[in-house]
Amino acid sequence: MKVTVERSALLKSLGHVHRVVERRNTIPILANVLIQAENAKLAFRATDLDLEVTETIPAEVGPSGATTVPAQMFYEIVRKLPEGAQIVLEASGDRAVLTIRAGRARFTLQTLPVSDFPDLAAGDMTHSFKVSAADLKRLIDKASFAISTEETRYYLNGIYLHAAGAAKAATLRAVATDGHRLAQVELPLPAGADGMPGIIIPRKTVGEVQRLIEDGEAEATIELSPGKIRFTIGDVVLTSKLIDGTFPDYGRVIPLGNNKELVVDKAEFEAAVDRVSTVSSERGRAVKLALTAGKLTLSVTNPDSGSATEELEVEYESDPLDIGFNSRYLLDIAAQIEGETAVLRLADPGSPTLIQDRESKGALYVLMPMRV
Amino acid sequence: MPVRQLSEAVVNRIAAGEVIERPASVVKELAENAIDAGATRVEIAIDGGGRRLIRVSDDGFGMTHADLDLAVERHATSKLAEDDLLDIRTLGFRGEALPSIGSVARLSITTRHAGEPHAWALSVDAGERSEIKPAALAAGTRVEVRDLFFATPARLKFLKSDRAESEAIRDVVRRLAMSRPEVAFTFLEEGRSPVTWAAALPGAHGQLARLADILGADFRENAVEFDQGREGLRIQGFAALPTLTRANSLGQYLFVNGRPVRDKLLIGAVRGAYADYLPRDRYPLLAVFITLDPHEVDVNVHPAKAEVRFRDPGLVRSLLVRSLQEALMRDGQRAASTGGSATIAAFRPALQPRRGWDWRRSTARPDPRGMPLATRGNTAFGFAEVAQAAFDVGAPSANVTLHEPASATLDQPLGAARAQVHENYIVAQTRDGLVIVDQHAAHERIVYERLKAALDKTGVARQILLIPEIVELDEADAERLAARAGELLRFGLAIEAFGAGAIAVRETPSLLGEVDARALLTDLAQHMAEWDEALPLERRLLHVSATMACHGSVRSGRRLKAEEMNALLREMEVTPNSGQCNHGRPTYVELKLTDIERLFGRT
Repeated sequence: MKVTVERSALLKSLGHVHRVVERRNTIPILANVLIQAENAKLAFRATDLDLEVTETIPAEVGPSGATTVPAQMFYEIVRKLPEGAQIVLEASGDRAVLTIRAGRARFTLQTLPVSDFPDLAAGDMTHSFKVSAADLKRLIDKASFAISTEETRYYLNGIYLHAAGAAKAATLRAVATDGHRLAQVELPLPAGADGMPGIIIPRKTVGEVQRLIEDGEAEATIELSPGKIRFTIGDVVLTSKLIDGTFPDYGRVIPLGNNKELVVDKAEFEAAVDRVSTVSSERGRAVKLALTAGKLTLSVTNPDSGSATEELEVEYESDPLDIGFNSRYLLDIAAQIEGETAVLRLADPGSPTLIQDRESKGALYVLMPMRV
Repeated sequence: MPVRQLSEAVVNRIAAGEVIERPASVVKELAENAIDAGATRVEIAIDGGGRRLIRVSDDGFGMTHADLDLAVERHATSKLAEDDLLDIRTLGFRGEALPSIGSVARLSITTRHAGEPHAWALSVDAGERSEIKPAALAAGTRVEVRDLFFATPARLKFLKSDRAESEAIRDVVRRLAMSRPEVAFTFLEEGRSPVTWAAALPGAHGQLARLADILGADFRENAVEFDQGREGLRIQGFAALPTLTRANSLGQYLFVNGRPVRDKLLIGAVRGAYADYLPRDRYPLLAVFITLDPHEVDVNVHPAKAEVRFRDPGLVRSLLVRSLQEALMRDGQRAASTGGSATIAAFRPALQPRRGWDWRRSTARPDPRGMPLATRGNTAFGFAEVAQAAFDVGAPSANVTLHEPASATLDQPLGAARAQVHENYIVAQTRDGLVIVDQHAAHERIVYERLKAALDKTGVARQILLIPEIVELDEADAERLAARAGELLRFGLAIEAFGAGAIAVRETPSLLGEVDARALLTDLAQHMAEWDEALPLERRLLHVSATMACHGSVRSGRRLKAEEMNALLREMEVTPNSGQCNHGRPTYVELKLTDIERLFGRT
């Protein structure tokens, strides 16, 4: 195998794939990146057995071939080579090393056999559809904050993606919850997605997809089967296993009948919550919302340090109500609202509250209160 | 005052001061006599910490009338045939015990020799001997010592409490019993139930049985056997896995030609052999039996024979270290069952939760009115978020059902990984049990062994010092260090003699970073003076490797896939010493199916 490639192209794609590699491994081959050179194309692949990322870039390929080298070290070498360098990768069949040459620098890296490299991409996908990168980004970004990190409810450690609604109103819906808050984001159902199974995308995969779509690609192709999902974004193909579990029936926890409507200026509200929560302790982050007609009083009392209150002019016409929330959670949700105005629908101090963006109906958030 | 010959009684009392220090010495002398007399059963009874009564009965040869007559005379013994102090094959030989005891206590001896028509008895009361009278005894000898030290009140005052003296006696009996598994011992003590150690079969099996009787059943399950010989020297015994340790060296027993002795050679050698597994302040349990030609060892060093002197201590030490290391390597993957059995002990049948659990009425619980969702069980989120209400998102469940094991992996010693729990523990299934692995500890050991192998292969890189550091030591230390410069160089420390009493350090191991050469050399010199080895340096290097291993291994909290877990298990099976982490903790525990069944009362 012999390939010549420009440093920046190599660095960018290695940057995508090497992130998948865990730094400490019990299986040596998982620390390696697979390099395949064929038909003027150079492909890199890395995996952690749950997630596999492949990126293909154009390159000047001499004899074709494939090998695997330690991903972290390869990436570090390429990173430290001078900008604009032409890098030559060369492997001969009889020695288990890859030679990297650029200018007058020369490295040899020990390789492991290609045949040991696990292949995750195998298997048929049952559904395939396309979404714009912006839509995919919105779907994932707005839901990901609510993903649970608790190991004991492993089926909450991801985003639940499924088709909801019927006929014209059918949507592609992403839901995440950690038991305290829930986020639900929708898109019109793309062609090809109807009848798709409900799947849970693991958190690490969600993070990787988020990074890949930052690069401003126009469109992403999503293929899936009950066990796997594949995202094709530009030159990058990401294949991931799914969480094998049953997502709870989240519909039951969305309070559609809440009748006390509070409308706030989102920016004002966010800033005020942030301000009063300064005095809250690390442990209890409760902020109390006292509602009377047209007025919201936010207050935090910390027995160890002091207290804070702030009043806001709001639209509120129902009976007075006192309710507490975790300020961190309120801020997380406020950060997802893009419009100027947020609507909170409340029932009582012990029931879930529904939060939405007044302008856009594609997303809703549910938050459980705290006892204050 | 003119010079005069001391009376025999006074001479005996002076001698008694050396031989008979405390009641335990009496028990030791008498029990050794019993063993030397070829007894198969020895019964020891004491009262008042041995002060009021010590009685040792045996079924040995006994003594004839003539023997008995001489036995209580000073320097009379049947054990030294040729007057050859270099060829001692019995426990005693000095001929001092009985007269010494007789001079400070009320001693009575009843004995029956097979050649005599009946037994004879003799008593000695503070040095005053009685006539030998006929007595009744079926066989063997019975020696009774009453009112010990009544003739030397000063000595009596120096005795410790009865309890402490009893404990010292028990220790003597334990040591003797360990050295002679084929002899049955009974130990009776006022106010305690009698202890009997039945005679065990000769050989290693019987030895282990007796050791387990004395050191506890844990020892039996966690001991590895070693047995090596070279040039007429045989070192044999049982050592505990590094996971079974004590905080002091009292659990380490050394026997030379069947004689219990205390020798710091043992402690040093054990420390060397276990250096890789144990922190400095833990001591493994072990019993070492050294057999060698009596000419190669001098037992006549100490009146109570508690110390011995080897003609070639270096050989004994190196063979001992090697035997221990080999035994530990061989069984290094064996996990201690101490963990396993402790686990079993910790298991309790789950209690049925009571119906009216009262936390529901506590203030921490949100008011259930107006809670449209089931919140039971979800409100108790710990202190931080007591008041945070939650949805019903289903019961907690670990993701444990996914790995169907391949049948072949079940046959491996550590079995097939079934699940990972609490993000740190791998649960694996074997054909006959269940293995729980601490993933971080296990991987750390693997990485450490790999680093060590690499260190062995490539050698330790040395940093050359800009200005050689001159360390002033005392002359003997400096010479000792200089003599071992070659060995130290292997560990990356280049030194050379720099005149009398000074050492020049030219290169230091780069692994250690900045080295305080003075402290290192002082430490080394002291250790060499005592143990004749360069352990402190090696230990420091290994400590650095261990720290590197810790950072380079899979942390707890990392979720492993089935393939990764199985790879770890397979790697553990081929890595030496993978049963313990670098700190001597077990890396895995095994629960046998029978243990599990016992938990459920199925057996």
